[in-house]
Amino acid sequence: MISDQLFFTGINVLLAWSVYIGLVTGSLSFAQGAFMAFGCYGAGVLTVKFGWPLLPACLVSAILSAMIAAVLGYPALRLRGVYLILVTIGITFCARVALENIDYVGGVGGFGGMRGADLNAVIVAVLIVGAFLLWFSFSPLQRICDAVREDDRVASSLAINVTFIRLLGFSAGAAIAAIAGALYGHYMNFVRPESFDVLLSIYVVLYVVLGGTNNMLGPLIGATLMTLLPEYFRVLAEWRPTVFGLAILAMLLFRPLGLLAFRLVTAHASVSAPRKSGSL
Amino acid sequence: MLVGLLINGLVSGALYALVAVGFTLVIGVLDKLNFAHPEVLMIGGFVAVVASGLPPYYAFIAAFATGGLLGLVVEFAAFRRFTDADAKITAGLASMAVGLVLTDLTQKVFGTESVSLPIGGGWLSRRFQIAGVEFLNVQIVIVLATAILTGGLHVLLQRTRVGRQIRAVAESPVSASLLGVNVLRVSQAVFFVSSALAAEAGLLLALRSGAASSDIGLTFGLKALAIMAIGGLGDLRGAMLGGLVIGVLEAFMFHLGLGRLSELTVWLAMIVTLMVRPRGLFSSGTHGLEQRA
Amino acid sequence: MKQPILEVRKLQKSFGGLRALDGINLDIHEGEVVGLIGPNGAGKTALLNTVTGFYRATGGTILFQNQDITHRPMHEIGRLGIGRTFQNIRLFRRMTVLENALVAFRPFADHPLRSLIAYRERRMAIARAMHWLELLQLADKVDRIASSLSYGDARRLEIARALVGEPSLLLLDEPAAGMNENETRRLVDDIAIVRRHVRAIVLIEHDMDLIRSLSDRLVAMDYGRKIVEGASAEVLNHPEVLKAYLGTDTEETVS
Repeated sequence: MISDQLFFTGINVLLAWSVYIGLVTGSLSFAQGAFMAFGCYGAGVLTVKFGWPLLPACLVSAILSAMIAAVLGYPALRLRGVYLILVTIGITFCARVALENIDYVGGVGGFGGMRGADLNAVIVAVLIVGAFLLWFSFSPLQRICDAVREDDRVASSLAINVTFIRLLGFSAGAAIAAIAGALYGHYMNFVRPESFDVLLSIYVVLYVVLGGTNNMLGPLIGATLMTLLPEYFRVLAEWRPTVFGLAILAMLLFRPLGLLAFRLVTAHASVSAPRKSGSL
Repeated sequence: MLVGLLINGLVSGALYALVAVGFTLVIGVLDKLNFAHPEVLMIGGFVAVVASGLPPYYAFIAAFATGGLLGLVVEFAAFRRFTDADAKITAGLASMAVGLVLTDLTQKVFGTESVSLPIGGGWLSRRFQIAGVEFLNVQIVIVLATAILTGGLHVLLQRTRVGRQIRAVAESPVSASLLGVNVLRVSQAVFFVSSALAAEAGLLLALRSGAASSDIGLTFGLKALAIMAIGGLGDLRGAMLGGLVIGVLEAFMFHLGLGRLSELTVWLAMIVTLMVRPRGLFSSGTHGLEQRA
Repeated sequence: MKQPILEVRKLQKSFGGLRALDGINLDIHEGEVVGLIGPNGAGKTALLNTVTGFYRATGGTILFQNQDITHRPMHEIGRLGIGRTFQNIRLFRRMTVLENALVAFRPFADHPLRSLIAYRERRMAIARAMHWLELLQLADKVDRIASSLSYGDARRLEIARALVGEPSLLLLDEPAAGMNENETRRLVDDIAIVRRHVRAIVLIEHDMDLIRSLSDRLVAMDYGRKIVEGASAEVLNHPEVLKAYLGTDTEETVS
């Protein structure tokens, strides 16, 4: 069904953006599965067990997810590179196993009864998050994040609190992933802890790698292509992991910055500013 | 009974150790994480399926060769060309992509359901007793095979020319290549050996459980990754010790009815270890491979 | 005498068994340009790195404008007013020249979240950045990508970037390294202008002409210690200094 496909595309775009916003501050996170699960179960408990409407449940679970990310991130984000990848994979595993052991939300058997999310809800979410990212892309904050990503030590010598910026990116990513999770759960009506497996986190990161890590459009393109294309080409659907894996390999080799590699410039000297002409 | 638990734990632990040693060998020598490693383990299980009609030692040789060759493929596809500043991350991502391909291809051949091995009632599942303790033949096979393979690895690293070269590259790839070591060959050797060990572990795992399954990489394989990190990235002894300790710990947790928490324990232990003692739980400064920060 | 801006007391920094700084004392006063000289490995850059929090001191204290900054994190030291450049130029290579300078704009660096909505300050930020870029003759290159700059321009952009942060103390680590004669001459003029805008400058340099024409005072270091301190002619001809240079690397004195 076309609306199903568009819905999952929207969810994947949100997840890809949630990875992107962490990457902007230089942290590659494989913990997105965990935050998505938290958003899904958190919002689900609020709507199913407490009878909240979806919107406030979504927002509250996003905020809580961001707070958890901040607490986890404070020790975790001191680690870089391979170590950070390992820790974030660990977070995803822990979240899944923890949920499997909480009988209040159904344990291994799964958790059901959430409803109320439809295609329109995910479209609104994508538009809001997209608008925010666009606004962010041209702001001084984007520039500060770029500085932290490119050379954190120089950034801190320029009075930028690198730890704070990294936590900000990690938490914002967790919040967006939680919203995606909440919408996913309330669309599917029923989820299991294994729906938020580490494989999901890996796929989401690879969407971003494919699309491009330098601007907000890259993750959008990557996630959309990888979700929609298999729906229209049967070969792709059948061989999805293989085609996807080979595409990633080719991309890393020949276009390491992704399909859309450009970086948006955050400031131009205004025309009125005095300029010297001459030497060059 | 206690002894039986201990033996069960040590047998799982030996398998964890075999996989963890492969992870740690690659990261210790090349400073990169091989995320295709768990899928080579998984394919090792299917070697058992293919070779199930043949005498068992054929299966062992086939798994070794398959794993080694896959290791060379992984090295070629996901590691060789990435040498710039971001290579640690890029190679990790590329090997994840290779892992996806390997899993998909395996599922295309053998299906997504697990495939059972026709060994029920065979020699492997026969029991015998020593001093009142009951053993399964397959347990003995696993322990013996692990001992031979890790012993062989030890000899390879300590006694041979290749081993010396591997250790030299682990210490410093730049000075090793200045001394005339062919870093590419060393890297291929490391991938061949580590992947061969992983495939053997997959084979043994399939023999023990009586089935091969395509999701074993993401469960058992990634748990071995966590164990490797607990033992310390690049620490061979840590990987061995970590594997055995976690194996025994899990056996006891299952016995006490805490089996559902065992996976959580491993991953939490890894997270805490990386945050508190990133060099590994058992690091004392002297082990097989030199570590780099 | 007035209180110094920067007081370094018995500062120590060791890496494992290696002592990069061995109990060094140093005072920097208002209005001074102090040249820091010494052979390679004498601990000059280690001193800068420890003062800015890049390295963690293993002993001693650093007072900046009467505040103890010895174990403060780097960004706090930056906020208190110490700016620096790096021996091997460290620009944000993917950004434009203007963006590089803007990163250091303090209201944004101090309150990154508020920068999202601070529209009025954005124009102010550009004006401030342009001010320093013009002063360092980079105004016609503001929209170039930093990685495309010539060596001399890159050096000057690094100084401009530090100045956008409005530091009171500016630390320059070998600003003339790798520059040709022309570029070096321009740099001397630039630093002469810059010194009017900051309270003090500390300058590491191997180019003796440059250091003679710019510094009010020289401090010579070797083995992580201060060996001589005083007027430039006096320090440059001091037997200890000559010994230190001749003992290691004679090239350094040439120029």
